[in-house]
Amino acid sequence: MKTNIKKLLITGIVLSVFTSCKKDDVGPPNPGNYIVAVSPVASTGVADYLLTAASLDEGSVTTKGHGVEQDGTYRYYMTANNKFFSMLYGQGNPGAVTTYDIKNGTLNKVSDFQSETVQAFAPVNNDILLMKISRSITNKLSNFYIVNTNSLLITGEGTINNQIPSSNGELAHFTWIRQFGDKVFAPYMSIKGCCGDSFGTAYPDSSWIAVYSYPKMELEKVIKDNRTSYIGAYFLDGTAVDEKGDLYAFSSAAATTAGKVTSKKPSAIVRINKGTTAYDFSYYLNFEELSGGYKIGNWLYVGKGNFVVSMNAMNAADKYNFAVVNVYDKSFKKVSGLPSGSEINSVTSTNYTKEDGIGYVGVTLKTGISYVYKIDATTASATQGLRVDGGTITAIAKLN
Amino acid sequence: MQFTKIWALIALVCCAISSFAQHQTTIFKGTIYLDNQPLHGATVTIAGQKTISDSKGLFEIKNVKSKNVRVKITSIEAETWIEDIVLVLESVNHHNFNLVKSNKAIDEVEVLGLTKVQEVSRQAYNVTAIDATKLYNSTLDISGALDKVAGVRVRESGGVGSNFNLSLNGFSGEHVRYFVDGIPMDNFGSSFQINNIPINIADRIEVYKGVVPMWLGSDALGGAINIVTADRFRNFVDASYSYGSFNTHRTVVNAAATSKKGLTFQLNAFQNYSDNNYKVNVEAADIYTGAYDKNAVVKRFHDKYHNESVIAQMGFVDKSFADRLLLGVILGQNYKEIQTGARMKSVFGQWHRRGSTVMPTLKYRKTNIIKGLDLIVNANYNLGKEQNIDTVNVRYDWYGTSKPNGTNGERARQLYIYKNNEGLATTNLNYRMGENHSIALSNVFSTFNRKGHDELNPTNAAYEQPQKTNKNILGLGYTYGIQDVWTTTVFGKLLTQNNKNGALDTTHNRFGYGLATAYYIKPNLQIKTSYERTNRMPTPYEMFGDVENQEANAKLKPESSHNLNLGTNYNFAINKDHRFVVGANLIYRYASDFIYNRLNNNQSKLVADNREGVETWGADADARYSYKSWLTLGGSITYQYLQNKQKYEPNYSNISPLYNDQMPNIPYFFAHGDASVIFKNFMNEGNTLNVGYNLVYVHEFYLYWPSRGGQKLVVPKQFTHDFNVVYSVANSRYNIGLEAKNVTNEKVYDNFSLQKPGRAFYVNLRYFINK
Repeated sequence: MKTNIKKLLITGIVLSVFTSCKKDDVGPPNPGNYIVAVSPVASTGVADYLLTAASLDEGSVTTKGHGVEQDGTYRYYMTANNKFFSMLYGQGNPGAVTTYDIKNGTLNKVSDFQSETVQAFAPVNNDILLMKISRSITNKLSNFYIVNTNSLLITGEGTINNQIPSSNGELAHFTWIRQFGDKVFAPYMSIKGCCGDSFGTAYPDSSWIAVYSYPKMELEKVIKDNRTSYIGAYFLDGTAVDEKGDLYAFSSAAATTAGKVTSKKPSAIVRINKGTTAYDFSYYLNFEELSGGYKIGNWLYVGKGNFVVSMNAMNAADKYNFAVVNVYDKSFKKVSGLPSGSEINSVTSTNYTKEDGIGYVGVTLKTGISYVYKIDATTASATQGLRVDGGTITAIAKLN
Repeated sequence: MQFTKIWALIALVCCAISSFAQHQTTIFKGTIYLDNQPLHGATVTIAGQKTISDSKGLFEIKNVKSKNVRVKITSIEAETWIEDIVLVLESVNHHNFNLVKSNKAIDEVEVLGLTKVQEVSRQAYNVTAIDATKLYNSTLDISGALDKVAGVRVRESGGVGSNFNLSLNGFSGEHVRYFVDGIPMDNFGSSFQINNIPINIADRIEVYKGVVPMWLGSDALGGAINIVTADRFRNFVDASYSYGSFNTHRTVVNAAATSKKGLTFQLNAFQNYSDNNYKVNVEAADIYTGAYDKNAVVKRFHDKYHNESVIAQMGFVDKSFADRLLLGVILGQNYKEIQTGARMKSVFGQWHRRGSTVMPTLKYRKTNIIKGLDLIVNANYNLGKEQNIDTVNVRYDWYGTSKPNGTNGERARQLYIYKNNEGLATTNLNYRMGENHSIALSNVFSTFNRKGHDELNPTNAAYEQPQKTNKNILGLGYTYGIQDVWTTTVFGKLLTQNNKNGALDTTHNRFGYGLATAYYIKPNLQIKTSYERTNRMPTPYEMFGDVENQEANAKLKPESSHNLNLGTNYNFAINKDHRFVVGANLIYRYASDFIYNRLNNNQSKLVADNREGVETWGADADARYSYKSWLTLGGSITYQYLQNKQKYEPNYSNISPLYNDQMPNIPYFFAHGDASVIFKNFMNEGNTLNVGYNLVYVHEFYLYWPSRGGQKLVVPKQFTHDFNVVYSVANSRYNIGLEAKNVTNEKVYDNFSLQKPGRAFYVNLRYFINK
């Protein structure tokens, strides 16, 4: 008898604790064609969540009880062929790519394939081109993979030698890749790839773009210039193609030698005209001069020659400054309406635009609440849009 | 060992009637044998005094008042012995007794002599003891046996030799410390771990939850597991071999030979081998085409594991200069192929590791150096090596196909070989004052100095940096006890650790303390409570990594916790035929700077990190039932709720959205049950057939924070059934066992995506003889 009572009691305790920790009520979902990737504010055990939203201009989404959980947080996102690709960055481990489309406003998993961990990826024709880029002088070969966005199969792959483009003894480490015409442009930083100064260089005052054929990926040419430093940054796209088909590229002028910035040239924007494979030496935008001392950290092309630019100051405390720069008339306006730099914890780097003059940029405040800010290039003003609770915004995208 | 003594002491002390006489008392002592073997647990009664013989059959009763006494010796295994003896007063009277084996059925004997396992469970600590001897005819390793204990969950990443993570009341990994005979196993190397030590090495396993006895001299946060090896027989051979699914072979040989003069030689040798080529369900993609199969069934093709270990000891027992003095060596080696990374998505086909243990050991024990003062000294040093071999520049898929992959190996091309140079010295002093008091002092010093090189990468500076740590734990404890009424222990521990990692030189000092007390409401109903303010230093593996799946984190701080236990045990019988033992425990833990393993940012390795706080409430219960001597049923159930108490995340001002969320990726509700039926004298006199059944249930749990996300990743529920049949011939001299594990071929996972073996069969042969 006694045992039974005791057992009952214990079971009772266990069950009551067990049932009491069911999920609290969560708000309604926000179905739509926009995708916001969110990483919870926590130092441990964190996964990214993909949330849908009907609009970026208003409303709210939360990771509480919502979102498609991604395995792990060190992920990168891209859209191509109306599909959303969630890529795991696995360092030496194999990476993985999970593909989604949107049906009735909700995400739908299409495929999940293993890939190498890559440092650059971009849509080319109907494919995505993925590149695992050498960073060691003892291993000069980079691997590339071509994945068809319809069949989601690997349709081609190969290696390229990264010491050949630089021909200065250092490695050509691609910052990003971009289709330009029928070529693949690979702007690169020249790096030592050894000697305890892996990402350092002896050539801090040049910019280069290696030009490859596609899909054979044969090196055709190297475009070189000494007016600024290398284009883009590690894992960062420093190029954009406008409506006219011209390519613009920026340099942060941040090349280092033994850990110190040694670029003497200013942060600047250069141009390659449609149908050519050479810099247009008639065009040069000295951004540092125009902005009064800022360098370009990242950018988003929003159409009509307008870029929303995230700027880096020489003074490290002066953070999260945004401007709109028009590369046609070389006008410069600081963006108003954003929270002050001291209130911001981080800013999203994979942002969204329809190229209609409006850029949507994610901002996470120090309170832990995030917003999508709508930046209008014509007025250079930002207005608060979609509120995101429960984490930092890691990417904003849209599928049709 | 120390522990044995404390108990013997309490038993002795409490049985004796106090004497205030200053002159030499009358002592009655001797050894009890059963068929010429020392008999443990026999009850000796003279003139109203009682004592219990120890593991060597020794007993001693002091302060005997009468000259003519009637000795009565009872034991579960022997016929009751009654003899009238005339003693010489005021001197030591030696008498040995050789009892006769009983033919009585066990359930008819009124049991006063407790088995060691029961004795352990009667301590004031929240402790569970496993009687390993009952599992000798199985293919279990130590971790498999531990999985049946309430509050314990052993998570494995695969088959034989795979990584394991034992969780004790939600604490896991390095929060839990392991010991062999009270000696920390921290430095034993990869060839000698609880997932490759067979159960037959142990006599019993003690699991201390939350509060760890001071004499173990440890900085465990969540508890400790002490493997007590068998030294019940002076001369014996116990050999077993098993073969089973996935080409698994295991051999264990334990033997001891002891001369009349006390010269002894002891040997434990064991071997495990498995291809681990079991089938798994994976999302596989062809390495060349990327063709994706969501439900591929493939065989693991690169998961072979084997290890071979020998523990040999030689020395003296029962000499004037030492009760025991043993010099020995532990030799071991292991080979392990690595099939996957932290997820089954990462497949490897040639990467493997090797490890070796070469460890000289010294064990010394002497009781009554001066009256009441006992000394134990242990020391060892591991000269073994560990090596990580990743030299083939290819990428594999699950179909075993590979393609060239640059020049950086499968993950990170290396041939790194390293020695951890781990040394350990422990000293225990125990002093009994009078009959109810004892005081104990313990010191454990350990040292670690990793040195390695990589012939493929000779200039890599990371390997050249100093990776050194020294740790010292000094403990002092005091115990007061009255047998079968109450016992209380208080203790304090001073912990010091110095670490050198590259240029970083840090020293941590911590002080911990605790109390354990037990009270008997009735002789068969015990309540107990214990508390410890415990501290744990980061281990070398957490600080320096393991060059495989653990990433280094040199900035780890020591963690500490308030651990509180409240428990009760009750045993009773109905009609003598129905016997019950029931127990229940409530636990509370509040850990700060909690060290726990998370995946690093790119999911490729684990990395240890501090959290501000984790609070745990838990309850567990276990029950056993036996009917006569042929049926036993038992089970345990555990629920634990671990809550995140990190209120603010670094750099954010609002309360963390994960504050008070349940900790992810930790099993929180699980249960185990077993049943066995024993057929005595089956087919023939002296033969026994034992048919057993085991079930394990683990409730599903979330991989990531429960409050976040709508479509979530889960580690699914486990519900497995194992059966076994053991037939023992000639009073257990020859044994044959058959085991079927996971008979329903359930897909089981302890860790996300890392599938464990399905249905498997094993046959086990064992031979045992003692003289």
